[in-house]
Amino acid sequence: MAYLLQHLLADSAARQPDRPAVAAGGRSLTYSELDRLSNQVARALLAQGVAPGDRVGVLAVKSAASVVGIFGALKAGACYVPLDANAPAWRLSAIMRDSGIAVVLADLGRASSAAAMADSLPQLRSVIVVGPHWGQEGGGTADAPPPGLAVVNWDAVLAEPDGTVAGDPAIETDLAYILYTSGSTGTPKGVMISHRNSLTFVKWAAASAGLGAGDRVCSPAPLHFDLSVFDVFATCQAAACMVVLPEGAAIFPVRLAERMEKEQISVWYSVPSVLTMLVTYGNLGKFDLSRLRTVIFAGEVFPVKHLRELMAALPHARHLNWYGPTETNVCTAFEVPGGDSSAGPPDPVPIGKACANTDVFAVASDGRRVSRPGEVGELYVRGPSLMQGYWGQPGKTQEVLVPNPFQAAYHETVYRTGDLVSQDEEGNYVYLGRQDGMVKTRGYRVELGEVEAALYGHPAVHEAVVLPIPDELLGSRLRAVISADGAGGLTREEVLDHCRRRLPGYMVPDVVEFCEALPRTSTGKVDRARLAGHGR
Amino acid sequence: MNVREPHGILEVTQLEAVINDYISQELVQDATLLPLTNTTSLLETGVLDSLSLLKLVLFVQERFGIVVDDVDLVPEHFANVDAICAYLRSRAEESAGQAGGHG
Repeated sequence: MAYLLQHLLADSAARQPDRPAVAAGGRSLTYSELDRLSNQVARALLAQGVAPGDRVGVLAVKSAASVVGIFGALKAGACYVPLDANAPAWRLSAIMRDSGIAVVLADLGRASSAAAMADSLPQLRSVIVVGPHWGQEGGGTADAPPPGLAVVNWDAVLAEPDGTVAGDPAIETDLAYILYTSGSTGTPKGVMISHRNSLTFVKWAAASAGLGAGDRVCSPAPLHFDLSVFDVFATCQAAACMVVLPEGAAIFPVRLAERMEKEQISVWYSVPSVLTMLVTYGNLGKFDLSRLRTVIFAGEVFPVKHLRELMAALPHARHLNWYGPTETNVCTAFEVPGGDSSAGPPDPVPIGKACANTDVFAVASDGRRVSRPGEVGELYVRGPSLMQGYWGQPGKTQEVLVPNPFQAAYHETVYRTGDLVSQDEEGNYVYLGRQDGMVKTRGYRVELGEVEAALYGHPAVHEAVVLPIPDELLGSRLRAVISADGAGGLTREEVLDHCRRRLPGYMVPDVVEFCEALPRTSTGKVDRARLAGHGR
Repeated sequence: MNVREPHGILEVTQLEAVINDYISQELVQDATLLPLTNTTSLLETGVLDSLSLLKLVLFVQERFGIVVDDVDLVPEHFANVDAICAYLRSRAEESAGQAGGHG
């Protein structure tokens, strides 16, 4: 009975020990190898004093090594925290401090930077290098580790016994991982996902995409992005092969198309902007993508024009639109009608209906449950996929995990998405927009308040407001309007430099403007509507 | 194919400066990479992602009056500032050659 994520690996390793589990750059790990290597990582973690429930950081790009590390952490009973390898050190430290990470699993390329963080992060006890590191020789960190920090090299991990670690270290309601997402008050929020939360999604997703052992599943989403839960775990449930692209492979569209052909990808999962780039600049007609049978997209709205082009380029494939905030996992889905249907994709593409074992409903502004097509309401979600809350933030958690207003007989928790929706005549939900200051750029959630808080951190900034600029390809770009103290001394470069030290790249404003004073409404609030009207 | 007047800029090392300035000011997110050298990998450092590549392509197309073809959007041409400049020079020569221009 699979009730922990690592049980998926145990089952697949027992059923299909010799099938490839993870393929990268022409090399692959079988299910049996993945199982044994992750047993060794689990033992290395236990030897470093990791106890059930401890948070373990994963500072690594998506790779065979990081998948080994993730399963190793779970087998040790830990909750893993994927750390964005490209985020500024300031933000990484904030996340590691917030979640109380004492042990980090790092790939070879990042072991030194993980060790270097120990200087400013006394809680950090150990860095364990995970492998295999194909194509990279050696196995150590270059510099001597700071005093008090243990660095365990991959060779030492390989010296651990590779048999199954006896006994289950967790139950299904324990945390499997924490995914950090933008927080409106300036600090990232850690979304806590239990094994049960994740498995509810994983089992539905594997069935819904029809995954089988012959599939080659690929997603360019990094590990700190919740899309990666699909290619790491749903693939494992089906004993299929997870294909890892080298970092940056999705940047160059023609190269991406070439690789999709060569790797014989059969199931693809990404944000729409990657697919838009692929269909616009990928020269798809030149490649044989006949093996690609399912294309799944999530994270933002797919402009129908580009979806239509994609469906014309891949007429044999199913196209699925999945929807769900990190806090709920995927909660609704819509299969876009194929090319043979005369209508083509509806505009906008609906987010669809609730997934199996999940229920969604919309609540109008007067508190009534929406019942008629076309009526607008906020989407609520209930079911076993809902997060456990935000790590260490009970107040923030209570704002979104609320009692079901339509269940008087007993207590039931539902999640308020903050997303406005309506239903079409077929009962499919259609996404209309946000109730608050959250925007999406390249599929990443950005709380405008977090960017504003970073701007206010600059001593010369008097007032700052950040507004979204709609962008068809990216969802939104960010425009900062600033009034600065002093006689116009603050420059755009200084503002950008300041932001880049505090925020990940996708949160740094694209446009910076200065004004003497921000316009105010009659109630004294910053007049966002007026500023937006002055935007481009 | 259709290089306009190259403003003489493709002839001198000013080209490297123009490209370096643009990338440093508009695309670099990690301040520790600055000042950017012309051989710093734009891929390993994460400077280029799908958005910043698109911005860069639009910039060179507009600045130098060339069209970057789909098939030229490859890592070899965008690995670092020097590679971008080598690519731009090859495009300029190609188009000068086609126009029957000087050697």
